Amino acid sequence: MDQRLSKLSTRALLIQVILSTGESQTAAIDVIRERGEPIISEVVEAWRIGRISTLGEGEEVQVLIQVSEGQYEDLLTGSALTPSGEPKINRATRSLRKVLKRIVDLLDLKSPDMSKRIAAAEKLGLSQNEEYLPELRELVPKQSDKKVKAAFQEAVWISELKNGRIDEKISAVTSLGEVKSYPARDFIEALLKESREAKVERLDELEAVAEIALKKIDDHQKLVEVASTLVRGLSTGSVLLLVSYGLAITFGQMGVINMAHGEFIAIGGYTTYVVQNFFVGVFGVESAGFGWYFIAALPAAFVVSALCGAILEKGLIQFLYKRPLESLLATWGVSMVLQQVFRLWFGAANVAVASPEWLSGSYELAGISLSYNRISLIVFALIVVLVTWLLLAKTNWGLHVRATMQNRQMSSCLGVPSSRVNMLTFAFGSGLAGLAGAFLSQIGNVGPSMGQTYIVDSFMVVVVGGVGNLLGAALSSMGIGMLDQGLQPVLGPVMGKITVLFGIILFLQFKPGGLFAARSRSLDD
Amino acid sequence: MSGRNSLSSLAKPFDSRTEWVTFFLLAAFVIIFPILSQMGMISSFQVGVWGKYLCYAVLAMSLNILWGYTGLLCLGQCLFFALGGYAFGMYLMLMIGEDPVYKTALPDFMDFQGYKELPWHWKPFYNPFFAVFAVVAVPGVVAFIFGALAFRSRIKGVYFSILTQALTYAATLLFFRNEFTFGGNNGFTDFKFIFGADIREESTTLALFVASGILLLVVYWGLAWLLKTKFGKVQRAIRDSENRVRFSGYSSTHYKVFIFVLSAIIAGLAGALYVPQAGIINPEEMKPSKGLDIVVWVAVGGRGTKFGPVIGAILISLLKSWSTRAFPEYWLIILGLVFVFVVLFMPDGIVGLFEKAKAYLRARKGGESDSGSSNIPVEAK
Repeated sequence: MDQRLSKLSTRALLIQVILSTGESQTAAIDVIRERGEPIISEVVEAWRIGRISTLGEGEEVQVLIQVSEGQYEDLLTGSALTPSGEPKINRATRSLRKVLKRIVDLLDLKSPDMSKRIAAAEKLGLSQNEEYLPELRELVPKQSDKKVKAAFQEAVWISELKNGRIDEKISAVTSLGEVKSYPARDFIEALLKESREAKVERLDELEAVAEIALKKIDDHQKLVEVASTLVRGLSTGSVLLLVSYGLAITFGQMGVINMAHGEFIAIGGYTTYVVQNFFVGVFGVESAGFGWYFIAALPAAFVVSALCGAILEKGLIQFLYKRPLESLLATWGVSMVLQQVFRLWFGAANVAVASPEWLSGSYELAGISLSYNRISLIVFALIVVLVTWLLLAKTNWGLHVRATMQNRQMSSCLGVPSSRVNMLTFAFGSGLAGLAGAFLSQIGNVGPSMGQTYIVDSFMVVVVGGVGNLLGAALSSMGIGMLDQGLQPVLGPVMGKITVLFGIILFLQFKPGGLFAARSRSLDD
Repeated sequence: MSGRNSLSSLAKPFDSRTEWVTFFLLAAFVIIFPILSQMGMISSFQVGVWGKYLCYAVLAMSLNILWGYTGLLCLGQCLFFALGGYAFGMYLMLMIGEDPVYKTALPDFMDFQGYKELPWHWKPFYNPFFAVFAVVAVPGVVAFIFGALAFRSRIKGVYFSILTQALTYAATLLFFRNEFTFGGNNGFTDFKFIFGADIREESTTLALFVASGILLLVVYWGLAWLLKTKFGKVQRAIRDSENRVRFSGYSSTHYKVFIFVLSAIIAGLAGALYVPQAGIINPEEMKPSKGLDIVVWVAVGGRGTKFGPVIGAILISLLKSWSTRAFPEYWLIILGLVFVFVVLFMPDGIVGLFEKAKAYLRARKGGESDSGSSNIPVEAK
C-alpha cells in the first residue's frame, strides 16, 4: 500500500478519489476502505445526489459540499464558505458508485466506535447477505475486544446458516446454541424447514444439533425473561418504596393522613428542575459541570421538601394529632393549594428535566438490559431504607421519635421535647418524599399533578406493610412491584394494575393489619 | 323503643322546632323554585344547575349517615354515585336511537370501536324499569360485597377510608378502559330522550329538578326517622364506641353493612338523577379526588348534623362555580384554604357554628349553662 497515501487525512483522500481517475483513484479507495469514519458515507451520499462540486482549475481546485441551497462547505477543511465563482457539479461514474456503496455498507464495521462496530456486525449478520460473509470472516480475528469479537463471530455463524456448506451449517448451529443467540433462533428454524424440504444430505445430524441448539436458546430466553421481570419488579418496587417511605413515617409512625404527600414528591421534582436550570445558567448545557447537577439536586430536594414539611407541621398538623381523619381533610386542602401554586409558578404543562449523561444508557448483563437510572434507583432505595433504619434505631433522636410515636403524652412527661420531635419527624418524612421526587424526575414526568399519580399507591404500600412498620413498607413495596411487573406481560399495564389493587383489597380482608400488624392489647388499635 | 314507637316517629322524625323549620324551608325551596321559573323569573339554565346541586346534597347526605352517624369515612362515595349514573346512563344511551353518522341503533362509541351487536349486559337497559332497578341494585350489590368483606374482617378507621379510596381508584382505571364497554374515557353523553320526553325541553329540566327535590326531601325525612329509631341509636353507638356495642350483644358488622348498602343506594339514586341533568357521565366522576370533594362538603356543612351536608354541598358548589368564573387561576387555592380553615376553626362546620352562636345567645340571655341537645359528636374517630 502506498505509504504516502496512508498518511493523508480521510478528507484529503476523498478529494483525491473525487478528482483523480484510474490508478491513483483506486489507490485512494483502497486506503479509504480501511477507515471507518462517518465523513465517508456523508461524502458518498452527497456525491450520489449531485451535491459535490468543484471550483477552480488545476492545482487551485477546491472540492465543495453543498450543505443546502447556496451554502457550501470546503471538503478539505470542513469550514463553511461562499464560493467565489460558479461551482461545477461533479458526478461519480456508475462503476465507481458501486464500489463506494460497498465501502459505505461496510463502513461501520471499521468504525473506531465499538458499539457502532457491534451494531454493524449484527445488522450484516442478520441480513444473511452472501456478499459480506468473506469480509466478516476476515474481520473476526482482527477484533481485539472480546465483546466485539463475539458479535462478529455470531454474525458470521448466522450468515453461514444460509450461505455456508452443510458442515459449516452444522457447526454454526452448534455454536449458536452454545452462545445462546436469541436473534439466531428464527434463522435456525428457517434453516431446518428449508433443509427438510430440500432433503439435504446429513439432515439427521442437522436436525439433532438444531434441536439441542433451539432448546438451549429457549431455556436461556426463559431465564432472561424471568430475570428481567425480576429486575423490573425490583425497580418498580424501588419506586414504590421511595414514594411511600416518607408516608410510612408521617402516616405509619405519626398517624397523620397526609394527602399532600404527593405534592411533597412534586416539590422534590420541581426542586430538581430548578437546580438543573441553575446549573445550565452557570455552567452551560454542554459543560462537564452540568452533568453533576443531579448530585446537587438530591440534597436540595430533601431540604426544600423537609422545610415545607416543617412549615406544614407547625402551621397545621400539630393541631390535628388527635383528629387523624381531619388531618386528611386539611392536608387535602393543602394539596389542592400546592398543585395550583405549581401550575401558576411553573405552568400547567410538565417541565423537562434532563437525565445527566452518567445516568442514561444501560448495562447489558447476560442478555438482561439494566438501565443505569433503574440500577441507581434500586441502590438508592436500599440506601434510604438503611439510613432511615440507622437514624431511628441507633440515634438518640430516633429513640425520641419512637417514644413520641408510641405515646405522645407519656414521652412528653418523661422530658422528650415532643413538639420538636414531631416537627422533625414530619420534616424527615416529607424530605424523603422530596428525594423520591428528585429520582422520579429521571424516569417520569415532573408536573403539577405528578403527586396524584403516586398517592393511592403510597397509601396501599403502607397499609399492606402494616401501619407503623417500616420494614413492612419496604417488603410490601417490593412485593407489589414484583406482582405488578409479573402481571403486566400477561394482562397489560392497566389491567395488571387493576388486578393488583383488587388483590390488595382482598389481601387486607385476610390480614387486616397488613403484613406486620402492630400487636397491642388495646381494643381500639 | 318499641316497634310502634318507631313507626309513629315516621310521622314526626324531627325533635326541635328548628329542625322542623329547616325542613319546611327546604321543602319551600323545592316548591317555590319551579314556580318562579314558570313565572319566568329564573332561567331554565339556573333550574338545571340547581337540580344538580340538589343531587349533590343527596350525595352528601348519603356520606353523612356513614361518616357523621356511624363513624365510617368512605372516600369512595363517588363510586356509588357514578355507578348509579352509569346504570341510568346506559338506558339514556339506548334511547338516543339511530344516529345520523353510523346509521345503527348502537351507542356511538360502540360503532366507533367496531361492535356489530349490543353486548348482552346492555340489552335489558332498553326497559326503563330495569334501568331504575339497576340504579338501586348495582351500587347496592357492590357496596354489599365490599362492605361485607371489609366489616367482617373488622377493617375500620383509616384503613377503611384508604381501602374505599383504592376501590374507587381501581374502578376508575377499569372504566377508563375501552374494552369495558362503558365508553372509555369519554363515557356517555349526547342524551336525547328520557321516558319518551325530549331531554333538552324546559319542562324536562323542570321535572328533573322536581324529582331531585323530592328525592332530597324523602331522603332527608327518611334518614331523620332512621336516626330516631332504635336502629339509629345503635348506629350512633357504633360511632362512639363500637366495642361497647359489640359487648352488649349487637352484631355491629350487620349494622355497618346495612348502612353502607343503604348509603350506596342513596348515592346511586342521586347519581341517576344527576346524569340526565349534567348530560354526561365519565370516569372522571369516580376519581378519588371526587370522593374527597364529597367529604369536604359534609365537613364544611357540619358532619353528624341533619342539615349540614345539604348546606355544605350547595355552598361549596356555589363557591366553586363562582370562583371558577371570577378567579379561574386561583379557585383551587381558595377552595383548599377553605378546607384548611374549616378543619382548623370550624370542626363542626357551618351548622356547628350556628349551634354555638345559639348557645352563646341563650347563655347570655338566661345565664344558664345549657349545652343544647346537638347531635354533634364530641370526639369521633
